[in-house]
Amino acid sequence: MTTIDVAEQVMPGKADVLLHASIPTGWKRVRMHKLMVNATLGVLGIVFLLPLIWLVDSAFNTHATASLGAPALSLANFRAALAAGAGGAIKNSLYLAVVSTLIATAVSTLAAYTLSRRRVPFKSTLLLGVLFLTGLPVTLLLIPTYEIFVHLGWANSPFYTSLVLAATSVPFAVWLLKNFIDQVPKEFEEAAAIEGTTEMRILWKIVIPLSLPGILVAAILTFINSWGAFLIPLVLDANPGNTPGAVGIYQFMSANGTVQFGPLAAYGILFSLPVVVLYLVCSRWLNGGFAFAGGVKG
Amino acid sequence: MAKIVLQGVTKLFKGKNSAAVYDLDLEVEDGEFLVVVGPSGCGKTTTLRMLAGFETPSRGVVQIGGKTMNDVMPKDRNLAMVFQNYALFPHMTVEKNLAFGMKVRRTPKASIGREIREIAEMLEISELLGRKPAELSGGERQRVALGRALLRRPQAFLLDEPLSNLDAALRAQMRIELKRIHAQYPVTTVYVTHDQVEAMTMADRVVLMQGGRLQQLATPEMLYDQPVNAFVASFVGSPKINLFPGRVVQDGSGPKVSFLTASYALNGSHGATFDAVSTREVTVGFRPEEIRLATGNDPELPVVKATVELVEPLGSETHVVARVGELVLTCKLPARCGLSAGDTVSLEFDTAQMKLFDTESGIRLG
Ligand SMILES: Nc1ncnc2c1ncn2[C@@H]1O[C@H](COP(=O)(O)OP(=O)(O)OP(=O)(O)O)[C@@H](O)[C@H]1O
Ligand SMILES: [Mg+2]
Repeated sequence: MTTIDVAEQVMPGKADVLLHASIPTGWKRVRMHKLMVNATLGVLGIVFLLPLIWLVDSAFNTHATASLGAPALSLANFRAALAAGAGGAIKNSLYLAVVSTLIATAVSTLAAYTLSRRRVPFKSTLLLGVLFLTGLPVTLLLIPTYEIFVHLGWANSPFYTSLVLAATSVPFAVWLLKNFIDQVPKEFEEAAAIEGTTEMRILWKIVIPLSLPGILVAAILTFINSWGAFLIPLVLDANPGNTPGAVGIYQFMSANGTVQFGPLAAYGILFSLPVVVLYLVCSRWLNGGFAFAGGVKG
Repeated sequence: MAKIVLQGVTKLFKGKNSAAVYDLDLEVEDGEFLVVVGPSGCGKTTTLRMLAGFETPSRGVVQIGGKTMNDVMPKDRNLAMVFQNYALFPHMTVEKNLAFGMKVRRTPKASIGREIREIAEMLEISELLGRKPAELSGGERQRVALGRALLRRPQAFLLDEPLSNLDAALRAQMRIELKRIHAQYPVTTVYVTHDQVEAMTMADRVVLMQGGRLQQLATPEMLYDQPVNAFVASFVGSPKINLFPGRVVQDGSGPKVSFLTASYALNGSHGATFDAVSTREVTVGFRPEEIRLATGNDPELPVVKATVELVEPLGSETHVVARVGELVLTCKLPARCGLSAGDTVSLEFDTAQMKLFDTESGIRLG
């Protein structure tokens, strides 16, 4: 209302002309924009969807090839995949992913809290360093890590392999969590501190619960990273009994000279199931949002 | 129980060139109820936060209970605080918020429950114990925050506008409750407020701050009757004190002050201040209750003719805004004074409490 009044004062009579002229073009622009966005998303969606359809189709099709075809439904491919050790490999992946996620999340939460709340010398340099590390390819570190592992006798141990997997996730998790904890108002910790609470208890009772959505995101990312890990377990753990899923699929693919598309697709589906379940479970949690509502005014 | 001493306390924030608190000297006696007032941004919260240990003074010493606190962590200071923005733990119910500190201090379960019930009843939040802070109104949150602090027996209470979000009735009631608690357990209390009524009714002494500096520390009556400068005079009292430009001159019989259309021979304490002055620009202050309809009983008193601009009947009294030439004044008249806008009235100034300030510095002269 006020804009009309002002316009009328400045140039009497022109106000409604301005209004009517600007609204339709504005709308058109918005609609065009929407159309473009949706079209792009649609094309991208199809590009991603096709391999998925192929995967599901082939997994249930006993005569699967590299091309799509009408499925003759059967679970034979799944049986073949399990017979080739898919079950054990997934169990191994689960171990690596869970252990590395626990370690990485704990370490990065503590580090992020310290970086967020404490005066740390050269903090911004340190944080930039951390950010730089997240971009470093793991391959670079793998040979020296292997040397160290052999030296310490850590090779072929799922636990120590998890440790390395955790280490590869920590920089990004620290970065993510530091920024998340920065958003948690400090007054909550102050209110707890004035009650005589120790810092450990404040961390446990206040900071961690309030940062839980962020911690969960960091944990999921770590989990997925470790779940799909290929190179690290391949190099650091040569024990066939410890082979995780990603390596298992690779070995299965090249095992018999010709690629068995059906069982391979079934293996792939079995291997991705836990991640899908994880997403479904966590999306609920994450929907809870990052709310500090009601805690502080304004 | 503890005495609080601030010596030359200054707080500079990074990137700001003016100090949030500047060279503050303050002694809060053991068991005293000290109220801190001042306009927004004058450093009240910063002062409390330095007492609590959340901010480190840039200069100066903070002592609580005879112990220098500058390097003591907040958790070791044994204080209770109500935060201006409540700072209730958003992931805990009201009950858990209230119980938090007692659990930290390992209070037996049975007495935790009992104490929470008592305090909840007093603050009228018993029905809210199961709710999360997000499900409370501002006033309810504030009472929970107050409850959380009152469940302590600390060395001192630091309360940052603890009643600001309550309605008038509840505020009056809580004021009385707080005074009752303080009478029962006379714990040293530093109480920040915007509300003059709270300052005047609750305080043993009041600190008035402006721009990070202490303006005056006095009992409520002293602050009202003997303001050290024009800022204090106009901050305390509602409606505000009337300040008029004036001038002191000597005529044959002694110093005389003229303001508006009136002039008045200075005598007594006022007179002594100006004996040696030839002429001086001053600001003349009269509180609204010191201006009344002219009675003519005392011909010495200054009288002006004014035009009524606004009449605000408050029931027990009437506030009247009137114009004298370019200037506007406010006076407190009896209820049903029978005036209406446009009337011309003669107003008489009671000079017993007249205040004179230096026009430039604002410092009170007499
Ligand atoms: N963390 C901070 N960093 C920088 N400046 C700050 C910080 N906290 C407060 N200040 C500044 O210090 C001054 C005093 O702030 P303070 O919060 O103490 O005011 P206040 O008297 O409590 O005001 P209000 O009545 O609005 O609560 C203000 O100018 C404010 O902008
Ligand atoms: Mg404040």
